[in-house]
Amino acid sequence: MWDLKEYRIAGSAGEAVAMMRRGPGKGVYIAGGTDLFLFPPTCDYVVDINHAGLSDIVGSPDGDLFIGAATTLHDLATNPLVNRFAGGLLSEAAAHCGNRPVRSTATIGGNLCNALPSADLAPALLALDAVCYIADEDSQESLPLEDFFTGPRKTVLDGRLLVGIALSAEAAKRRALARRLTRSAEDIALVQVAVALEVIDGRVGAVRIALGSVAPVPMRAMLAEAQIEGELLSDLTPDRLADAGLIAASECDPIDDHRASAEYRREMVGVLTRRVLASALAWNPSDDKEGGAA
Amino acid sequence: MKIDVRLNGRDTAWEAPAGATLLAVLRDGGPNPARMISVKRGCETGDCGACTVLLDGQPVNSCVVAAGRAHGHEVTTLEGLAADPLMISLQKALVDHAGVQCGYCSPGMLISLYHLLRECRAAGVRPDDHAIREALSGNLCRCTGYVKPVAAAAAVAAALEAVQAAAPGKGTVAS
Amino acid sequence: MTEVGRNVTKIDAFKLARGEPVFTDDVHPVGMLWAKVLGSPHAHARIVSVDATRALALPGVVDVAWHAQVKAIPHTRAGQSHPEPSPWDTVIMPEKARFIGDRVAVVVAEDLATAEKALGLIDVQYEVLPALTDMDEAHRRTDVLIHEVPDPRGIAEGGRSNVAARIDKQVGDVDAALKTCDHVVERTYWLPRVQASHIEPHVAISWLDEDGRLVVRTSTQVPFHLRRILARILEMKEADIRVIKPRVGGGFGDKQEMVMEDLVALMTLRTRRPVRLEFTRTEELICARVRHPQRIVMTTGVMNDGTIIANRMQVTADTGAYGSHALTVQGNTGQKVLPMYPCANIHFQVTCLYTNNPISGAFRGYGAPQGCFALECHIDEVAKVIGMDRLELRRKNHIRLGDTDPLSAKLGEGKEGLVRVIRSTGLEKAIELGCEAIGWGRKRPPSAPHLKRGLGMALAMQGSGIAGVDWGAATVKLNEDGSVNLAVGATDIGQGSDTVLAQICAQELGIRYEDVRVLSSDTDLTPFDVGAYASSTTYVSGGAVLKAARLVREQLAAMAAERWKCAVEEVRFGAGLVNAGPDRTMTVAELASHALYHVKVQPMATASHMSNESPPPFAAQFADVEVDPQTGEVFLRRFASAVDLGTPIHPDLAEGQIEGAVAQAIGYALFEEVIVDAGGRVRNPNFLDYKIASALDMPEMITILVPTQEPSGPFGAKAAGEVPIDGPAPAIVNAICDAVGVRAYRIPVTPERVWRQIKEAGE
Ligand SMILES: Cc1cc2nc3c(=O)[nH]c(=O)nc-3n(C[C@H](O)[C@H](O)[C@H](O)COP(=O)(O)OP(=O)(O)OC[C@H]3O[C@@H](n4cnc5c(N)ncnc54)[C@H](O)[C@@H]3O)c2cc1C
Ligand code: FES
Ligand code: FES
Repeated sequence: MWDLKEYRIAGSAGEAVAMMRRGPGKGVYIAGGTDLFLFPPTCDYVVDINHAGLSDIVGSPDGDLFIGAATTLHDLATNPLVNRFAGGLLSEAAAHCGNRPVRSTATIGGNLCNALPSADLAPALLALDAVCYIADEDSQESLPLEDFFTGPRKTVLDGRLLVGIALSAEAAKRRALARRLTRSAEDIALVQVAVALEVIDGRVGAVRIALGSVAPVPMRAMLAEAQIEGELLSDLTPDRLADAGLIAASECDPIDDHRASAEYRREMVGVLTRRVLASALAWNPSDDKEGGAA
Repeated sequence: MKIDVRLNGRDTAWEAPAGATLLAVLRDGGPNPARMISVKRGCETGDCGACTVLLDGQPVNSCVVAAGRAHGHEVTTLEGLAADPLMISLQKALVDHAGVQCGYCSPGMLISLYHLLRECRAAGVRPDDHAIREALSGNLCRCTGYVKPVAAAAAVAAALEAVQAAAPGKGTVAS
Repeated sequence: MTEVGRNVTKIDAFKLARGEPVFTDDVHPVGMLWAKVLGSPHAHARIVSVDATRALALPGVVDVAWHAQVKAIPHTRAGQSHPEPSPWDTVIMPEKARFIGDRVAVVVAEDLATAEKALGLIDVQYEVLPALTDMDEAHRRTDVLIHEVPDPRGIAEGGRSNVAARIDKQVGDVDAALKTCDHVVERTYWLPRVQASHIEPHVAISWLDEDGRLVVRTSTQVPFHLRRILARILEMKEADIRVIKPRVGGGFGDKQEMVMEDLVALMTLRTRRPVRLEFTRTEELICARVRHPQRIVMTTGVMNDGTIIANRMQVTADTGAYGSHALTVQGNTGQKVLPMYPCANIHFQVTCLYTNNPISGAFRGYGAPQGCFALECHIDEVAKVIGMDRLELRRKNHIRLGDTDPLSAKLGEGKEGLVRVIRSTGLEKAIELGCEAIGWGRKRPPSAPHLKRGLGMALAMQGSGIAGVDWGAATVKLNEDGSVNLAVGATDIGQGSDTVLAQICAQELGIRYEDVRVLSSDTDLTPFDVGAYASSTTYVSGGAVLKAARLVREQLAAMAAERWKCAVEEVRFGAGLVNAGPDRTMTVAELASHALYHVKVQPMATASHMSNESPPPFAAQFADVEVDPQTGEVFLRRFASAVDLGTPIHPDLAEGQIEGAVAQAIGYALFEEVIVDAGGRVRNPNFLDYKIASALDMPEMITILVPTQEPSGPFGAKAAGEVPIDGPAPAIVNAICDAVGVRAYRIPVTPERVWRQIKEAGE
């Protein structure tokens, strides 16, 4: 059993950080706990943030979205605002995490803060230019998700609280798609690729290619993005997309483990990037049903 | 820590170590006399679903939920649904379809299916095969290959739909 | 027939569906202690010293035991019939750890958290020894011996080599025959280590009853073997031990083994208190049993017309740290598999090695899934070499009604067995129905342009109990209201044997199934049975029930004849009635009451049953897959099984056996593998990473029962529990090969393996 001295329940974000900083000893935040109970860290107390008002999804009139850190994966998968945002990329990603009961309690904050290279929400959020809002007793900070991860199971947080994630309306209209490769239906992803791009007048605008499980942290394949950005749709032949895939493959930094070899993971980045790009580019806006990714 | 919880419709006070899981408190007893033995232990990593219970009406794997999380909330186990007509019809269907082999996974499966069908009933939709499988995705069964449990759930869903169709003001809705 | 063949309500289904307290851990005796086992962190190490002072000082810790305190009586934990064919290479607490997780000490405490904490306070000094985790290295080396002491019964080669078991049996002369063949095809196949993964872990609770006798309530498949082994190693009388098997949450062979009962018993005897031990999933995946990993070399000699002339199967297997089932599982790999294609020349060789890996043991199929994978893949390979259709090749050569199976006679359960003659087979019909169901020869188009589609098939046969070894007994007692108490030693572990046995009993007595109550597996109260393994329960234990019911019926008939003054032969039973002609009728209840209050005799009988035959059930299994050649992903779309299990006593339960077995075998084919690194450490000891099939992994399933009448079985029944687990892996792999043209010789076929093979084939 997890050897804890105290279970603290915070009633607000402010109280949460205060409880965290109060000591004595070491504390960690707990949201769903679905990760913590698998790998319980040595600590003295936990601060439960499920009652801290961090579980809401709020849309602004302009179409921006703010997602509280304690929002559950089930809520993300089923919330209409998230379903509509960029073809439901984030909802899809959430719906593929774990299993149904896990999604009732697992949170977006926990998914990012545990900072696994395979965290399933990370590629989708990177592809949507997510911004993290972080709070401490007397400071606040916001930073792009790309700067949030510092290594496997490491983030910039250092005891601070992730309050939530903001997505800007700009990303909402992107054509966004993702693919994850697993051994069985419910498995830690071997490779994840998420793509979000915009097409304006037959030309590709902003492009995001985000990768998971293939580097110490979830990452963007920026060199591959540059291959596509600004190009005329008609110029993007299958060969060009394959090249972009190869470039993405060269950018990632996978490891060998018992689930798959680095070589395979790298090659799959190439294949999946090419395919997901092709589908996103071929996406016919008129097929774009509300609330579902293609 | 002291945990005030509404367990199966009754206000209950638990005494539990701060690091305890909901599963440990529900199943193992210790200082709390009532063991909810329908809540099984199969993996303790949130994968098998033998420990599935409802937390505020949502299915959760109690082995990866802190006991403290239940403070001020409602927990429902299979014991608490013994008299619920939907649960009774699910149990009967599971038995009639030979969906119970060793039965160790059955309580967890039933909780997941109960939740699914209640939601579907509220939304006026009938779950298809995939929706049933999705709902069972967190309940590993090593005996049945899922064929008969899925058929049992589909039968109850069909019966519910028939009842709803018969009710005035409601039509059938496809999934 | 009314009761047999009817989908009655499974006898225990409602209480299970209500989550009632029916499993071992559901009821805790007062004053119960919680046990935990300290496992070795080293794959091979001498335990130099154990100091439990700090652990015992922890409040709540009651006792700690380790090798120095426990008498070392060699035995095997395999849980088999006496004389056990597994080497006696085990003691309760070993002096030397032979795998990571091997028992070093056992702690009992007032609660689980304290017991867990105490493990960290036991100070152990190890002398680390070189670890052998590669079976070929273990074979080569005699300087490092995993078992230094010879097995007292000479089964293993302890003290001389790391060979745990060898088999070398030949019918005809394979070498000579191969020279005469048009083609000789040789291939090598690799099979992984997989785990039974019953959802209820191993769990046992023991206590002393009011007479000071030891009671062990445990999730076991073999209560009587367990009692025998416990009595020997604890030096007690069998009558002083009572083993109770409550409901069991799945076993699949893994609960044939005495994985922990000796530990709880030991600690109860030491502390005089109830003791409970349950494995965590991690302990299950490290310390319970796994299917033997094997390498199989198949050599087949065949003529241009497809006649198979000679078959050789050479098996190298890894039994891990102990030799549980080392001989017999490997024996089955050939014995249950090679007879599918009878030919005059068959050679079967096994070398089974000790290593410092987790312990292999019994798991549903018991060696046959490995052998069937090799043989059925190989048949496709042979067909390809000789340019013959793979279905035709199978049809031309497969075993038929009246054929004898010479290999069985040579092998048996570790000794010379009995000749087997096929007296019932639905194999041809199964092939026909399965082909029709899957659309053999009419491959569907791929569902997307980047996918390739393929069909594959495999044939399988198994046995029904172990001929001349397995036996069981049953007691039938008729009550005055016509209801029956049936007591059987047979162990229902979820498969539904209590239900099936009650049906057999009811059928024979001409009463309703609903009037039978079953007591199964309490060594104090029920007669002997070897237990639930080797697909024996319906066939063997069912035979005992049938005999006992028949004896009771004869008693009743005699009483009725006496009362009616007619001949015994005139008395008929059925639909709850006894009659001898139109005007002589009474209910079974009336007759029972007559027996008890007029004749003053208890209608009751105990019968034992053993069969010198083990008639094979047959299966033809078919897979329809799509493969993504660029990622290597395999999408199993449809799976059809047509199974001849004799008379299905309970068709729904029989289908359930097949569906469940297929689900397990899909994992075997596609994603299950207990991965052990070169240091002997399990890399994926949890369900996060050791994947078993979920509802979302299952294809569209088609399950067809092909009834036949087996003359030696109760009401024509054979067995269903194991045969359907054999064929899916080769059928799936054959389908993948059909789709993309490359063959996986190693399972599970993970996406990466498929991808790599396609890539290598392209180079
Ligand atoms: C059966 C199962 C399957 C899973 N499958 C997947 C999967 O497919 N994909 C996947 O990505 N993950 C998976 N996971 C891992 C995990 O459940 C998810 O990553 C989940 O989103 C974690 O969220 P949580 O709220 O439960 O985290 P917790 O366990 O509560 O916390 C995780 C970590 O984040 C910290 N933390 C949480 N919230 C905050 C915050 N707001 N501010 C600062 N720190 C915080 C905690 O201190 C802890 O270190 C699975 C887990 C289980 C049990
Ligand atoms: S015990 Fe909780 S999911 Fe398995
Ligand atoms: S019935 Fe045994 S695990 Fe589901």
